[in-house]
Amino acid sequence: MYAPLAGSVIPLAEVPDPAFGLLGAGVAVEPAGQGEVTARAPISGTLLTLRSHAFAILDDQGRAVLVHLGIDTAGLRDGGFTRLRAKGDRIRVGEPVTRWNLTALAGRSPLCPVIALEAPEVTRTAAGTVQVGDRLFVWNNSPSKEDHG
Amino acid sequence: MAERHVKVESVVGLHSRPAAEFVKTAAKAPMDVSIGRFTGESVNAKSILAVLALDARHGEQLRLRAEGDGAEEILDALAKVIAEPDA
Repeated sequence: MYAPLAGSVIPLAEVPDPAFGLLGAGVAVEPAGQGEVTARAPISGTLLTLRSHAFAILDDQGRAVLVHLGIDTAGLRDGGFTRLRAKGDRIRVGEPVTRWNLTALAGRSPLCPVIALEAPEVTRTAAGTVQVGDRLFVWNNSPSKEDHG
Repeated sequence: MAERHVKVESVVGLHSRPAAEFVKTAAKAPMDVSIGRFTGESVNAKSILAVLALDARHGEQLRLRAEGDGAEEILDALAKVIAEPDA
């Protein structure tokens, strides 16, 4: 699981929305810089969902990751998001998914949770600052395939 | 078989936080619980992956199903999550 954005790695427990911990295990990235940033695919796979403010990718082993751009950004009328791909697309790690203008945050937190969906825990492999493509964490074990509907 | 028809009230649809709340509630059920559209297949309501992939949008009508002791109560609780507008 690779960093979708450059920035600082923050424990999920410090994200001001406990709902993310219900989705799985992971970390958050606080984007570095200001203005426009590009969120990239943290794994290769298929775009399971693609919303303005969030996307999920399912890999060929049945593991999925959710990237949520900012906290409480779902309800923003214009969150500064430009989708560069479409739901159902095949995507490779590192490819751009969404362009995001951080000035549209309107006071909301820019933290981006990166979640291994349904994973009970992951092993963090990064701390401090990361560049795009740095490894954020690894899955401890694969979730069972049968639960994926 | 107990069944509920419910409209998604969250502006974001059944995604991220509402999806997490939904799956957390479904996970308490001892029996299988399914969620789906009237026109499509139903998926496992206890799987966050399946629920996110369903990609239900604001205003969509969904169907919930469960069978067995306590099914009515579980479906009531799940319908409440789906029908809840954003805080």
